[in-house]
Amino acid sequence: MKKVRLGSGSAYWGDILEPAIELAEKGNVDYIGFDHLAELTMSILQRMKTKDPTKGYIQDIVPFMEKLLPIAARNRIKLITNAGGANPLAAAEEVVKIARALGLKGFKIGVVTGDDIMHRLDEITAKGIVLRNMDTGEEDIGRIRDRIVAANAYIGADSIVDALKAGADIVITGRASDNALYVGPLMYEFGWKFAGGYWDKIGAAVTVGHIIECAECCTGGMSNMWREAPELWRIGFPIAEVDENGDAVITKVPGSGGLVNQWTIKEHLVYEVHDPSNYLMPDGVADFTSLSIEEAGRDVVKVTNMKGKPRPDMLKVQIGYKEGFIGEGMVILPWPDAYAKAKQAEEIVRGRLKLIGVQPEELRFDYVGVNALHGPVAPEPDYEMNEVGLRVAARCRTYEEAEKARREVTHLWTLAGLGSSFGSPMPVRQVIALWPTLVPREEIQTGFVIKEVD
Amino acid sequence: MAKRLLKDMAYARSGDKGDVCNIGLLAFDEAKYRVIRREVTPERVKQHFRGMVKGDVVIYSVPNLNALEVVLHKALEGGATRTLRFDQTGKSMATALLRMEVEADD
Repeated sequence: MKKVRLGSGSAYWGDILEPAIELAEKGNVDYIGFDHLAELTMSILQRMKTKDPTKGYIQDIVPFMEKLLPIAARNRIKLITNAGGANPLAAAEEVVKIARALGLKGFKIGVVTGDDIMHRLDEITAKGIVLRNMDTGEEDIGRIRDRIVAANAYIGADSIVDALKAGADIVITGRASDNALYVGPLMYEFGWKFAGGYWDKIGAAVTVGHIIECAECCTGGMSNMWREAPELWRIGFPIAEVDENGDAVITKVPGSGGLVNQWTIKEHLVYEVHDPSNYLMPDGVADFTSLSIEEAGRDVVKVTNMKGKPRPDMLKVQIGYKEGFIGEGMVILPWPDAYAKAKQAEEIVRGRLKLIGVQPEELRFDYVGVNALHGPVAPEPDYEMNEVGLRVAARCRTYEEAEKARREVTHLWTLAGLGSSFGSPMPVRQVIALWPTLVPREEIQTGFVIKEVD
Repeated sequence: MAKRLLKDMAYARSGDKGDVCNIGLLAFDEAKYRVIRREVTPERVKQHFRGMVKGDVVIYSVPNLNALEVVLHKALEGGATRTLRFDQTGKSMATALLRMEVEADD
């Protein structure tokens, strides 16, 4: 029975490179997928592109491909990456240069476009399509129209499959869903189609993609198994071996660090999912409530009986818009009376902000060591603490106000109680708020081009 | 009946989509899953996260994994890109849920 081996080479912008090299060298994989995009990323990249039309992609693609292209070419591995970000064509130009320098004559780069609908928003709303905010229910996009910096649809695997059919050795996309980077190769290899009779297979592909798309997060990273997973500094990234029936085995390169067991797979299956019987992806709807998970050896887990349903008629679009600035900072107060000194420091900041007339839209105080993570769920400490951090964060309308708020935290160095310690200041950052919405699938037309290295 | 922390009955992992935080709760075995499914209700989770979760709590069962999917709306102070939370993406919310005390069968 035909089997396809998919590796996952990146989970986020800035991820470690060594495990991807290991996958290419020793993983015996047919494809490696690379996800670099999070909800905020497209807005950052779109702004980079606005400043410089040759930028706006994930610049990690350059060091990644310099290392990986020679190995991939030698081992006949195809690479699928969404590092194109807001500018996949510019990213492809960089990869062309790298391939040419490596002497990879005839190397084909597929570039998928069509996810960027920034300049079509007015045309879409003019058709009477309401871009309702999925988080807040708000329908009046006009309120934020002049502050929008990015609008990208989460596109599926259609054009990735087409680019592979056209012979692409690497496919570079913009905001393809993380999942499509894995669904695409499986549909191409097995000839699965977006049609009746294939939805369980595509559901399996979506499920497998979901399991491995965050790379180290299913091999012992970020894990309940943090104690059991060995040598996480040289963690192995996951490999999914999928057969044409839609069953899969999840593993990693033998001898690498980390761990694959039932728990590392299950904890990722339930990660960032809402309704587990309707996991909505642009390529299909996976149902996680029927599948079976079975350990089949050291670092080997079988996933079978995966199910799916037809792909949704609507695609998710993430709209990013400017919404003020955040200034923040932290001091650490030591024993004795660390917590009491931290509480006094909060009063000092509140008083200073009032005195200088800064009114943040939102102001937050966290006591690091007490409640910075668990908030009101955390019990008050009933013991003398060694040290307590006071973190202050303020969201303001203008950069100037956020800068003033940030400076007030630095003043705790000299105003707060005995031993107050201030590290390094943090710069003010612009806030990009998100407006998630749905757009009919037919509004989003994707396509691809092939660039061949001469 | 004895009081137990969820920490001693289940693993958990949480993440975000916009201002929605989800927590996957994985019971160690089927017996613990039955307890968790009975005890971990939307009302009790909402009460556990009072002052933190401003919206609805929805809970889905995943019996084949002995798991619950706990979905918390308006949970991240506006979502990762605009929140003032240190934990912008809600990764620590799973551990906050594991503090919850339930009535176990044993």
